[in-house]
Amino acid sequence: MVRSLFLLLAALVALPLAAEAQKPIKVGVPMPLSGPPALFGEPATKGAQMYVDEINAKGGVLGRKIELLMRDSKADANEAVRVARELILKENVDFLMGTLTSAEGPAVSVVAKENKIVFIAPIPKTDQLTAADKLHPYVFRVAANTTMEGRSAAEIVAKWPVTKIATIAFDYAYGQDVTRSFVEHIKRLKPGVEIVDQQWPKLGEQDYNPFINAQMAKKPEAVVSSIWGGFFVTFSKQARALGYFDALKYNFIGLGEAASPETTKSMGADYPVGIWGNSYDAFYWEDNPGPHKDYTARLSKYLKDEYPSSWAIQGYIGMAFLAEAIKKAGSTDSDKVAKALLGLTIDTPIGKQTIREKDHQANRGQLYGKTVKDPKYAFPIMKPITYVDPTKFMD
Amino acid sequence: MPDLSFVFAQSLSGLTAAMFLFLIASGLSLIFGVLRVLNFAHGTFYMLGAYSAYQIVQWLGTGPVTFWVAALGAATGVALLGGIVERFLFQRLYGKEELYQLLFTYALVLILSDVARIIWGTQQKSVGRPPGLTGAVSVFGATIPDYNLFIILLGPAIALGFWYVLQRTRIGRFIRAAALDRETLGALGVNVRALYTGVFMLASFLGGLGGALISPMRAIVPGMDTEVIVEAFVVVVIGGLGSFWGTFLGALIYGQVLSFGILFFPRFSIFSIFALMAAVLIVRPWGLLGRPLK
Repeated sequence: MVRSLFLLLAALVALPLAAEAQKPIKVGVPMPLSGPPALFGEPATKGAQMYVDEINAKGGVLGRKIELLMRDSKADANEAVRVARELILKENVDFLMGTLTSAEGPAVSVVAKENKIVFIAPIPKTDQLTAADKLHPYVFRVAANTTMEGRSAAEIVAKWPVTKIATIAFDYAYGQDVTRSFVEHIKRLKPGVEIVDQQWPKLGEQDYNPFINAQMAKKPEAVVSSIWGGFFVTFSKQARALGYFDALKYNFIGLGEAASPETTKSMGADYPVGIWGNSYDAFYWEDNPGPHKDYTARLSKYLKDEYPSSWAIQGYIGMAFLAEAIKKAGSTDSDKVAKALLGLTIDTPIGKQTIREKDHQANRGQLYGKTVKDPKYAFPIMKPITYVDPTKFMD
Repeated sequence: MPDLSFVFAQSLSGLTAAMFLFLIASGLSLIFGVLRVLNFAHGTFYMLGAYSAYQIVQWLGTGPVTFWVAALGAATGVALLGGIVERFLFQRLYGKEELYQLLFTYALVLILSDVARIIWGTQQKSVGRPPGLTGAVSVFGATIPDYNLFIILLGPAIALGFWYVLQRTRIGRFIRAAALDRETLGALGVNVRALYTGVFMLASFLGGLGGALISPMRAIVPGMDTEVIVEAFVVVVIGGLGSFWGTFLGALIYGQVLSFGILFFPRFSIFSIFALMAAVLIVRPWGLLGRPLK
């Protein structure tokens, strides 16, 4: 009798402990979910959620489920910091995975440092996020950075038979950094190159006509642009009407994902077919390593979209790195997980990805290609697609 | 010294921008001139005009007149929405403190932009240029897209039509009278309530038309509402709030300063605009062609 009473007591004491072990691992996701940047923020959170749903269906990590807590950061550094703090202090999240703009990323990185919580940035590209003076043990990036993107473009443009090159970019951190990286690298690769014009519209400019006229007056042979997202739609509509792409003989490369399926899809026949562009992903990327095809099929089903978003993959890879690091660390302690992330290589839908030990930066390249019409789709696609592996020129 | 064809191209691109701004800012100015309400939600009507035009084009498919049907349909739809908003909501605001009006119209901006997001999502939308206006002409060595030319001609046409209605018709007299003294006009037997609704619908129509007509030149995205309202405000502040020709002049100045500003201050073209606005506010706080408020 006494013995069974003991057992009962022991069970009662042990029960909460067992429940503790079963509590989900909480991951805070600050991401723009309203306004124009939601265009990328929303699919990125869905990609993260798909990864989480898949891993939870297999029993989770360390026997615990992962739970995502999404918060709208409004693409604003202050708001991102506020929601990140709230996620840490009120919701007791174990990790942070999120942010989109180059303003939000570094701001949230500071919060992660203060609270000693691992923070994985899936989209911000600014070099400052992982620059030597800003780097700390808890911040990691699975996006490309401006150095890698600018240099990738230079590798491509260096092969074109052109010497007079112009640039157009928004006048803020991302636009300036990516343009500078491009100019430095192309001058190294092809010393004869001359930069004949540089235009700097303000971020979010709606009327590009004056900039386009001014640039055409300098008669460049090729242009490198980093006008991104919906802004590229506006820019290219106005540029096409002015005969800009014809004058350049389509020697134009649009960075900032100007050739993403989302953009070509929304413009359809209006897209300046023949230009070069890049993208994080493309559902029609056929000659790619095996797991991508399967990933695309799953994503298509998950998003109920025949042509699924190219941004989902960033949230997906961000969560994959986090989950694999937790597994490797055998713990959800941020110090241990941060150590596990150093030099970690994982399999992703686009192949193997490694987070470098020296700067916490993944070797995330992007897809580049010349846009062409394809009878299979009502919108242009990149063909052939080249995945530019940045490993050689990351430093 | 830049060559002449470039200067010409630059001034025409400034003119195109000006005519769009005029279209949008004239509605804003009209509402303020007659109803004495600063309608922050005017930019939202512009955005809804663009989305509606996109939607109608989707429904009708591509045809020679699809775009024009869509533009007029969108503007009419927005005018009807404006009528409903005025009848049921704005009517309660007249004569209230400016702060209430501001808060109310701002609330409308937030609500309607969320409604647009629920209907059309966050993906950017795009409308092609109408068939027949996809080409470009070459004038003095400068390339001018046909569509821009059409806008440059449409702006003054609307301005003249507007002027004619306001100055030469009975309705126009009532509208001008309502701007000056609403009580007396009411006492003389004019249905001021209906007049206000009509003016609001006309202003919404212009805003919606502006949004629909700009869709072949810009991406349709959430957030386009607040961008345009700031520009429209600058235009009416420079020209004079409530002044019709002032709005026209303000738009012309805005377009040219933006176009040529980038030659002198390549990275600060927007700065020249705000510097100009500040200068106008210091010298003539009521705008270039406006009248001082009593």
